[in-house]
Amino acid sequence: MFDARKLSTKIGLQIILTLMIIPYMVPLVQMVLGSLGGIGIMNYKAVWDTGVVPTYFKNSILIAAGVIVLVYIFCMTAAFGFAKLHIIGKEVYFWIILVALTLPEIILLTPLFVTFQRLQMFNTLYAVILPLAALQLPFTILLARNFDEGIPTELMEAAKIDGASIWRVFRAIILPLTKPIASSIAVLTLINSWNSYLIPLIFLQTPDKQTVTLLPQFFQGEFTNDQTKILAAAVMTALPIIIVYICLQKNFEKGMSAGALK
Amino acid sequence: MGKKQNRKNTIARNDGFLWILPAFIFLVAVVYYSIFYTFNLSTVEWNGLDPVRINVGLGNYERVFRDWIFYRTLRNTAVFFAVTFVVQNILGFLFAAILHTDVKIPTVYKCLVFIPTILPPATMAPVFRLLFSPQGMLQSIFSSLNLGITVDWLAKPASAMIILMAVTVWQYTGMSFILYFAAMSQIDKEMMEAARLDGIGNIGMLIRIVWPTCLGTTVSLAMLGVIGALKTFDIPYLITGGGPNRATEFLGTYIYRQGIRQSNLGYAAALSVILLVLAVGGALLMSRVNKKS
Repeated sequence: MFDARKLSTKIGLQIILTLMIIPYMVPLVQMVLGSLGGIGIMNYKAVWDTGVVPTYFKNSILIAAGVIVLVYIFCMTAAFGFAKLHIIGKEVYFWIILVALTLPEIILLTPLFVTFQRLQMFNTLYAVILPLAALQLPFTILLARNFDEGIPTELMEAAKIDGASIWRVFRAIILPLTKPIASSIAVLTLINSWNSYLIPLIFLQTPDKQTVTLLPQFFQGEFTNDQTKILAAAVMTALPIIIVYICLQKNFEKGMSAGALK
Repeated sequence: MGKKQNRKNTIARNDGFLWILPAFIFLVAVVYYSIFYTFNLSTVEWNGLDPVRINVGLGNYERVFRDWIFYRTLRNTAVFFAVTFVVQNILGFLFAAILHTDVKIPTVYKCLVFIPTILPPATMAPVFRLLFSPQGMLQSIFSSLNLGITVDWLAKPASAMIILMAVTVWQYTGMSFILYFAAMSQIDKEMMEAARLDGIGNIGMLIRIVWPTCLGTTVSLAMLGVIGALKTFDIPYLITGGGPNRATEFLGTYIYRQGIRQSNLGYAAALSVILLVLAVGGALLMSRVNKKS
């Protein structure tokens, strides 16, 4: 787009860009260097030998999967209703859902803490899946509704004249056509669920239920003040995310930017 | 169901209420239930264990408005938002502009800017605590250069705040970058050619053509930034714990301290209600600005 015709300009830009990127690499370098302090690579073995890492990963995966499924079902049906069906007082309902968009998660803690204890859901994965899905829903409904509104209504009218039920219209027309936005929503939900800290911190109390974001805390207890092992655990947590990102780069960038554009 | 009510856009004769009902019930059960519960809680004094909750009416709110820490959290949030918003967007804009020229290995740079965005703050927090401590990498670099600088920045109020802002900028530049990069791809090439023929240089082009075209993106980012700043929790809680001397206390960390740590549930609820009002108000204000621009 911008012309950098002269060789000196080209080299200059490359140097500026490289200088600008260095601060972004510093924490990653510190993470790896720090994890190799003391007994070096054996830190990783010590962390792995505790046997908890796979459990924490498994829990994070189960939670993310649960959140994505819930968000997908609720979001797709609601977005279709809002975009294409007749509802009395539609915008009022939509507004009620949108207000929840700004909700800071800390507000949910006490009410849900008390309620989950009463329902014996405390320290179960559901106690994390439900609030995380609820926090994702308003925004994903907004995204999916905007997307659905771009699908021509004539397409559905034609199917209806051919005798298709509304459910069939949804399954045969809407779901296939909304795949692009659905994949953005899945990525966005995956990242937000995977990275969530406060809700698992409060609602998951035992190591057999906890998630990867709580690993540093676990190792702080396990290896008192041995930073090197905590950082080895951080590398082991970060690496799979970075690998998945590099493999699915385009989807991630699309998903995250869908998260900001209306 | 009269025909008049059917909008052009919608499929005729179908009441869509059943379709939005599941999502609606779910949100009401989790979110609105919690908001209602918090409202109720904000009018009592309760430690979560006592069978008795003492009704104090608006007493908790009165206490909030006399609490210097509350005002400190507001000031911290405002400073935090202003600085991170400006720095993060200038950097994101520059990265996007430079990566639109034909620099070498663009994908590597893109990945490096974007990776912080997808890493959990909770995973990175121990790294930052080490990095900005006398045992960290920065200290060894400064020491080997004999600069006589001691990296004890997390222990000092002003520098602790700067570090939290730097971490936030580190984390979210990728977001600004991706959005500006996408916005810049849509700029009309012919318009830029015409401007170039008029003798506008690269810098002039950036300021007079590219920046104004990206204004919508900047407004979207401002909206995200305001809500994000109000919700800030993980980074201050895990890196500075709100200290030293409340210099990095945010509403989120203060509510946590009051509610979870000290079991002042009523007081924490009153703070939560105020936070909610600020977040909804902020969002409404920003969407007004958005419509105007």
